[in-house]
Amino acid sequence: MTGENCLLCQIISNKIPSYKIYEDDLCIAILDVNGASPGHSFIIPKNHYPIIEQVPDEEMGHLFTVSNKISGAIFENLKVQGTNIFVRNGIPAGQQVAHFMINVIPRKENDNINLQWPPKQLSEEEMSTIELKLKDQIGSVGVSKQTPQIRKQTTPKPEPILDDEDDYFMNQINRIP
Amino acid sequence: MTEQQQMSEEQIKALQEKVKNMSPEELKEFQKKQCIFCQIISEKVQSKKIYEDEHVLAILDINPANPGHILIMPKEHYSIMPQIPNDEIAHIFNVTKSLSNSSLRALEAQGSNILVANGVAAGQKAQHFMVHLIPRKENDDLKLEVPQTSIPEKELQKTQEILARALGIKADQKEKIVPSIPLKAEKETVEADFEETIAKEEPTIEDKPEQEVPKKSPAKKKTAQKKKEEPKDKDIEEIPEQGADLDDIARMLGAK
Repeated sequence: MTGENCLLCQIISNKIPSYKIYEDDLCIAILDVNGASPGHSFIIPKNHYPIIEQVPDEEMGHLFTVSNKISGAIFENLKVQGTNIFVRNGIPAGQQVAHFMINVIPRKENDNINLQWPPKQLSEEEMSTIELKLKDQIGSVGVSKQTPQIRKQTTPKPEPILDDEDDYFMNQINRIP
Repeated sequence: MTEQQQMSEEQIKALQEKVKNMSPEELKEFQKKQCIFCQIISEKVQSKKIYEDEHVLAILDINPANPGHILIMPKEHYSIMPQIPNDEIAHIFNVTKSLSNSSLRALEAQGSNILVANGVAAGQKAQHFMVHLIPRKENDDLKLEVPQTSIPEKELQKTQEILARALGIKADQKEKIVPSIPLKAEKETVEADFEETIAKEEPTIEDKPEQEVPKKSPAKKKTAQKKKEEPKDKDIEEIPEQGADLDDIARMLGAK
């Protein structure tokens, strides 16, 4: 699968042309030519992992850090009012290519994108059953003394992405009661 | 929050003025007091906790898109994603990955959606950054639609130019890789068929020079290939009735 049949592997190896906007050792970011709007981007790991659970932790962290950066760049430069970061994992979730990727979708008000849902009504009992099943699978819940420390990065922090002037984003957020 | 709605215009103005004059620290404290999720984190408001560690809390959404809909949030109050340091982003999404794995197994889900809404226009409803993890099954009556449009070449070129410039795409400029944080309860979550991917303990790359990073990729590719080859002999078409098996999900995708 890797390379030969995977569309995204071929894009990564430049066998298929793409609109690349970012690249590093571990991932590339390209524009979706059939995106919801210009700026709709895919962040794709260079290694071939069909689903998210197969992506090793350090790559996972890196991919979402890059997604955050790209989300910031889209927000700052494309005159949009927000972004969605969206992953489809598995066919019922809408995944179409067997290579894990992250969507960053620029958003404007009334833009025809529907990522909202009518809440499903679950009884207290059903919720508790789900809670128990999940906890059972995950292990004990509670702050562990052995909780790993987040290692502080030695690299200088990146510039804050929002300047004072384009505070629309923050203002919008601050409007939420 | 109802308090705010009952305020007179004058009071609102006074409050706005007050907020405007606050120092960043004061503002943060103020936001924290107003934030329902901070109250959940400090256990002033009840919730169904699924996972917790020093930095992150995961709870069941009381208005779920699907049964098992989980909200993963940093304990620190951040309104939007750009405010969050990289190492915390990395941790939050690694927890999300781990929980996705758990919900596939525990709830017999066949997939999951991960969604972040940045901004009101994107559907953000709370002032506290969070990640939605929604387990998916076939015919689960949930539609998360992103329309496809055919974007003109000119638009694509223009957008590419703008974003590539903003992101500083250069061959010699490479993003530092954030070291991973091992997850609590990882051992319990991982099962035999999956240990290859997660249990593998790689040395952290934190202290090494950047050039060493690519060396790892061939090894990784090999594991990925190995994994891909295995399922080929098995029955590919069948949709796992009990969900839960990651290999099945990967295989279904491979079959497409």
